[in-house]
Amino acid sequence: MADQGGFSFDLCKRNEFMEARGMKGPGFTKTGTTIAGVIFKDGVVLGADTRSTAGTTVADKNCEKIHYIAPNIYCCGAGTAADTENVTGMVASQLELHRYATGTQSRVITSMTLLKSHLFKYQGHVSAALVLGGVDFRGPHLFTVYPHGSTDSLPFCTMGSGSLNAMAVFESGYKDDMTKEEAMDLVARAIRSGIFNDLGSGSNVDLCVITKEGVDYKRNHEFLQGKPYERQFPQKFATGSVPVVRERVFDVRRAVTVVEGEPMEMEG
Amino acid sequence: MAVEKRVTSPLLEPSSIEKVAEVDDHVGVAMSGLTADARTLIDHGRVESQQHRFTYNEPMPLESLTQSLCDLALRFGEDEEGEAGMSRPFGVALLVAGWDAEGGPVLFHTDPSGTYVKYEAKAIGSGSEGAQTALQESYRKDMTLKEAEVLALSTLKQVMEEKVTATNVDIARVAPKWHLYTPEEVEEVIARL
Amino acid sequence: MAASLPMRATVPAAGSGVKQHASWSPYDDNGGTVVAVAGDDYCVVAASTRMSTGYSILTRNKSKILTFNPKCLIASAGMQADMETLHKVLHSRHVTYQFNHRRPMGCQAMAQLLSNTLYHKRFFPYYTFNLCAGLDEQGRGAVYTYDAIGSYERVGYGCQGSGKELIQPVLDNQLKAASPLVLPAQQWLSSLPLEQAVDLVKGAFVSAGERDIYTGDDVEILILTKDGIRTDKLELKRD
Repeated sequence: MADQGGFSFDLCKRNEFMEARGMKGPGFTKTGTTIAGVIFKDGVVLGADTRSTAGTTVADKNCEKIHYIAPNIYCCGAGTAADTENVTGMVASQLELHRYATGTQSRVITSMTLLKSHLFKYQGHVSAALVLGGVDFRGPHLFTVYPHGSTDSLPFCTMGSGSLNAMAVFESGYKDDMTKEEAMDLVARAIRSGIFNDLGSGSNVDLCVITKEGVDYKRNHEFLQGKPYERQFPQKFATGSVPVVRERVFDVRRAVTVVEGEPMEMEG
Repeated sequence: MAVEKRVTSPLLEPSSIEKVAEVDDHVGVAMSGLTADARTLIDHGRVESQQHRFTYNEPMPLESLTQSLCDLALRFGEDEEGEAGMSRPFGVALLVAGWDAEGGPVLFHTDPSGTYVKYEAKAIGSGSEGAQTALQESYRKDMTLKEAEVLALSTLKQVMEEKVTATNVDIARVAPKWHLYTPEEVEEVIARL
Repeated sequence: MAASLPMRATVPAAGSGVKQHASWSPYDDNGGTVVAVAGDDYCVVAASTRMSTGYSILTRNKSKILTFNPKCLIASAGMQADMETLHKVLHSRHVTYQFNHRRPMGCQAMAQLLSNTLYHKRFFPYYTFNLCAGLDEQGRGAVYTYDAIGSYERVGYGCQGSGKELIQPVLDNQLKAASPLVLPAQQWLSSLPLEQAVDLVKGAFVSAGERDIYTGDDVEILILTKDGIRTDKLELKRD
């Protein structure tokens, strides 16, 4: 079974039966998210917040949403965390193999096509909403990929629950042929707008600048707000607060014998 | 509170004459006049007091209770349909005595006009003029319960035509809970006169 | 004849014949957290000021506390429209009470009134989660905690709203207050000095603000003592 690849649907019938009997399935970590990207004069800037949520609680305060696809391509993911991580990972390894086979740089449109065909095959059940950006020999490219497999090619785009907040910033601040600094500032502002105004987004701003010279992944480009309050009477535990009830020392050497290795036969 | 129960016939059962009544465990009333009318007022007061307890989980303040009795007393002549309307005023005066959570002991006097006034000691009824004078002479703010029992009963005795016995008077107190004296307890107070 | 009977009775589809919008609900959760801690001679009440719906913030500055008098207030989380209505009703009841009884309403009277007001709407409840807090007749801190339909209990401290799953266990651990139902009766008031209680409440809100998306922006803090009400403010993260 396992060597066939793809998803395993073994337990679907069982789960269907159990759900009919009233069992509730497990919840998933959703990255209620703000992700965005713009094309500037000589490259692409991608941006993302770093909050991941499980329902209304924050599951991770500093997660990574800008995923590696190829040395010249990165991809921001919104939706179900597992789906975005796996779908980008799968495409990344396919491209890696493709590069070994062809010896050429990966093209952004190739990764976009791989992503959309995978997503379309699963009819939206793989919930990954992506902002894909990179630079190849044809220049900078920026795409959005929707969970059902449709794509857009745009000079600036946003995704996730904070997409409207970020898009508002882009619509008011975007210009053609921006400098790298202008583009970084604009994307950071767009992400910040999502962080502060969208409850699904929060914490810090990650940026990823891709030019034909290379990639500048700025993890926690903006680290927003430390703790707003220090406890005046913090709870301190004196050493010895937790008593040692029993102590046992075990000598590993008595149970393990080291056997001298035989050299491996390399030739028949 | 001490009240005279006028036993007009030897065949009359004295315990059936009710001239003091409990409204709630912190309020009692003594009445003079048409005691049948007083029943309506008392029933109303009981409902109001329970309502207050239900809503606020606390005893109803005495003045509020007295006010609500007087509001009812003024409701005659209103054009309500059928039985609900009252054609005439209540012909009864009340002494409303009770215990307030913050203020302690309180006494109010209400009359058929719906007026209420606060008193430290008050007499109503046929012998009230003489009794009030007697109260004015002997009342002190710092009286003990026992002294107050004696003052109330002796004041009543002064204006009663009959001899005071355990059957023709009723005594009740709210200190801080309502209690109607048993004949034995009344005897005990008479003995101290 | 029996053979022709169906194995199971057929149930007509719900609301058959009546067309209805299936997806519409009269309720909304606007989030927010409220906390109250009762001490020997004080009561600390705190409420976050963010008001949200879904993933949007409606305002960063909405008070959830209604102060009736220096010894009695209520704090409510849940749906803002219902909270507003409930507060309006209770405010009006408090004003009438003062006209009728010539004194401000005590904390336990308000506690009972709130319970009745909630239960009055037993089958179409106010979507609010309340705390009634203040000082009792003896000047000790009092906290009453409620469900949406008026079941209530006096407690030493309480927490309601979107952050309650995060804060309540912290308070349980730090205040160790016994249930008033435990026999023999145990001290259920917080034995903490006032400043430490305020610090604990602030710490709890900071933590809830980190993990609950509906708790944030500011915390409004009211400190009730025999000398009156003192207010304090704590700023939380705005993300």
